[in-house]
Amino acid sequence: MISLAGRDIMHSLGKFVFTGMGLGLLIGITLSMAGIYRGLVDDGKALLENSGADLWVVQRDTLGPYAESSSIYDDVWRSIRGLPGVARAANATYFTMQVRHGERDVRAMVAGITPGAPGTPGWPPYLVAGRQITRGHYEAVADVATGFALGDRLRIRRNLYTVVGLTRRMVSSGGDPIIFIPLKDAQEAQFLKDNDAIRQQRERTAANPAFNRPQVPGLLEAVIASQSTNLYVNAVLVQMKPGYEVEETAQAIRRWKRLTVYTRSQMEEILIGKMIATSARQIFMFLVILSLVSAAIVAFIIYTLTLGKIREIAVLKLIGTKNRTIVGLIMQQAVALGAIGFMVGKITATLVMAPIFPKYVLLQPLDSVIGFGAVMVICMLSSIVSIRAAMKVDPAEAIGG
Amino acid sequence: MDGKGIRIEGLKKRYGSGDTAVDALKGVDMEVAPGEVVGLVGPSGSGKSTLLKCLGAIIEPTAGRMTLGDEIIYDGGWKVKDLRALRRDKIGFIFQAPYLIPFLDVTDNVALLPMLAGRPNPEARRMAIELFKALEVEHRARAMPSQLSGGEQQRVAITRGLVNRPPVILADEPTAPLDSERALAVIRILNDMAQQFETAIIVVTHDEKIMPTFKRIYHIRDGVTYEEAGEGRAIA
Amino acid sequence: MNRFPIQRRTLVMLAGFVPLIALFVYVALRSGALAPVPVTVTTVENRPVAPALFGIGTVEARYTYPIGPTYTGRVKRLDVEVGDHVEAGQVLGEMEPIDLDERIRAMEAALKRAAAQIDEARARHGYAQAQARRYQRLLEARTTSEETVTTKKNEFQIAAASLNAAQEESVRVGAELKALIAQRESLVFVAPAAGLVTARHADPGATVVAGQAVVELIDPAQLWINVRFDQINARGLAADLPAHIVLRSQAAESRTGRVLRVEPLADAVTEETLAKAVFDELPQPLPPLGELAEVTVDLPPLAAGPVVPNAAIQRIDGQLGVWRVIDGDLRFTPVTPGVTDLDGHIQVRDGLEVDDEIIVYSAKALHPRSRIRVVQRLTEVKP
Repeated sequence: MISLAGRDIMHSLGKFVFTGMGLGLLIGITLSMAGIYRGLVDDGKALLENSGADLWVVQRDTLGPYAESSSIYDDVWRSIRGLPGVARAANATYFTMQVRHGERDVRAMVAGITPGAPGTPGWPPYLVAGRQITRGHYEAVADVATGFALGDRLRIRRNLYTVVGLTRRMVSSGGDPIIFIPLKDAQEAQFLKDNDAIRQQRERTAANPAFNRPQVPGLLEAVIASQSTNLYVNAVLVQMKPGYEVEETAQAIRRWKRLTVYTRSQMEEILIGKMIATSARQIFMFLVILSLVSAAIVAFIIYTLTLGKIREIAVLKLIGTKNRTIVGLIMQQAVALGAIGFMVGKITATLVMAPIFPKYVLLQPLDSVIGFGAVMVICMLSSIVSIRAAMKVDPAEAIGG
Repeated sequence: MDGKGIRIEGLKKRYGSGDTAVDALKGVDMEVAPGEVVGLVGPSGSGKSTLLKCLGAIIEPTAGRMTLGDEIIYDGGWKVKDLRALRRDKIGFIFQAPYLIPFLDVTDNVALLPMLAGRPNPEARRMAIELFKALEVEHRARAMPSQLSGGEQQRVAITRGLVNRPPVILADEPTAPLDSERALAVIRILNDMAQQFETAIIVVTHDEKIMPTFKRIYHIRDGVTYEEAGEGRAIA
Repeated sequence: MNRFPIQRRTLVMLAGFVPLIALFVYVALRSGALAPVPVTVTTVENRPVAPALFGIGTVEARYTYPIGPTYTGRVKRLDVEVGDHVEAGQVLGEMEPIDLDERIRAMEAALKRAAAQIDEARARHGYAQAQARRYQRLLEARTTSEETVTTKKNEFQIAAASLNAAQEESVRVGAELKALIAQRESLVFVAPAAGLVTARHADPGATVVAGQAVVELIDPAQLWINVRFDQINARGLAADLPAHIVLRSQAAESRTGRVLRVEPLADAVTEETLAKAVFDELPQPLPPLGELAEVTVDLPPLAAGPVVPNAAIQRIDGQLGVWRVIDGDLRFTPVTPGVTDLDGHIQVRDGLEVDDEIIVYSAKALHPRSRIRVVQRLTEVKP
């Protein structure tokens, strides 16, 4: 017995492949949508993973440091460091701003990292080029998503920073690439303003008679100096010693009245549950809609293909072809179409959509497997409609009159 | 008869029920012996197509008896379980139009029938090509139907009807699209086949060109048949 | 005969579909989570490490002289402008004496009056002394009473005391006059040493309080840089270590210098160690005070030892170490890092041997079960 489905496909191969490719693009977009959704969630998790922290200590009653702004004194870490179970504690600042390089402006999250060595909490865990920061000022490690290269000089507020290292997938929960600079420089960038604002502040302070007393020489300078120092950071990142309970240490810190502490799972919930929840929901809705549309289009295509053959099907029935064979013809074509469509879709999603989409697209094998299964199921279900039409055909129609 | 030939007795077919009922066949008697090629003539609306469909086991008659060779296939109800197998093995069809499957080549179009009957593919194709030789289309064996002329397609369609060597062949206006030379050639082939394989062939037609060739002609009018002797002219 | 056309058809189909299937398989295996992680490797080198410390500082004057009045008053005149060089002892300006000149004149008059009073007291004293002597002689001649003699002696004593008082009064008035004169002199601003005027805080006519600086002088030959080093990266900082200094306004030029001293008091709030660094040769023209400078202090180089780039060091499960490639397998090896130089080369004290193959850069975080693919350079990095 020959394969009727195979022969039909071979005969109108161009049309079949063209249809498959069109279907494939649709499937590709659907797969990409799933990838964008996963990428969104991954952006949220990457930040937590890469910081290497087990606990985040932030300002009391804030969701910081990522979801909400949080300010704590920069010497709080010393008390935390002494708690049992704490292996390392380090200050960190996070501030999203525009970073300038030549004529170009890039939106990035500037992360301040404590001076020290690789392995300190907050430091980039691995690099793709260059080296980690060694000098206490004016060096930066940037993510490749910024477009900067080794040796570029970046302008952040009033200072120029040399890019000495590059990272990959170091992004904020919003997808902005991260630039790591020394903590003191970051504190200055975050809390101190530009020259104009500083000048204005000095003038205002000088105009205030409480600070500008002639009997007390040096008072004005002291006040201005205090305004120019910054004593705040956004969070303290804590790494625990093995064998200690994370929650116990968190409770110990919480008992102090001025601080809130989050464990990794709580931070995940904040980032993914609160920060990206809206975007994630939107993308998920798009995904569902696209899937439904794809299913409808597949059904339509297969139905059209079958209707185009209705005369041949009548003849086949007349000359004695079994129902089973005719069902096989339709279903095999549907499955073949689905398979071609899926392959084209996966290739499109991986080689075209993922690289050009501005956000991170994470295509997981599990999603592909589920997608493949869904495509096959949809093809088979939609072929049922066509099969019913084929079964209803009266072979007598082959004989006119 | 010895497994061949076809006989119909008192065949009736009613469409619909109650007030809207239409009696297309009102008691048809017909008999075709093995090796015979008879004509079936009638105006449209006479029940010609209905009779053909009953003969082809495509629709179920309302009453009567149909016998194929030694087997009673219908007697008030189908006596055969698998009608499709019956059609596949015992009845050959030749339609007005070739109705070739466009995505199979000419050989496979014809070989499809023996394949459906269970023959291995190479043997089925051999059977097809044998018949092509008889109808002088073997040089087109690998072509696709769209590459053949109308006449070539019709000849291929005829081989499809013949390839399983069915005992009965129903031909519906087989010569309508052909010119007189080809039309007579087709009738000649049918006669040859009928004689060679003892096939009973019923040709539904109103083609004046071939009418003289029948030895017997059935006329059908208002659901009833009348037999008439034909000229039986031999074909050159 | 039958076979051949079928073969051709199949071949056409395969020719069309095979690339598609191949591309699909490639995509499935090479991208996404199934793909091996691209990494770059290097070998542990045996080389000496030249550690250095990096700090930021500001240019300051070693000696600063704020010059101002010791009394509240008004500025009368200032003779210097910012940027003037002055000699030691040069007059820079003067405060308003207000009533001081008059008070001096009054005191001079008082002094004269005290001198006159001395004369008067002396005259009385001479007379009283003569009287006392005369009456004593009279007493010896018995021509007067003892009481009279006693009275005259008493008068003599009183006159002597008056003379004393007048003399002391004269001294007192003289001293007061001197005090006023000294005060008058202090109204004049005098440069205590040769230097450069860096600030004028008040102009003539302004009222200033005692202790407020009106003019500031520095010694331009003695500039130093007040440098801050992160405490965590200040190990080995000591006096006399050589340093390179880069001024912010002259970023291309690196000047030589040395560490003058390490301050005994660190900054506990900012967690920085303070030090003073000086230029070997003062840059001309002088850098403005307060200009930022980057100071790199060279520490004595260490002997050669196993060295890895600091990008290779990661912390996995709380341990510092590097990923080693052993026979194509990935293994995380804990190491004890030692001294680092400013180019990111860290000496490894423990855990690695020279020529061990280690992973430097990876496109993703590595796990013990990660599959790796060694490349020359990761694709995201532009050449």
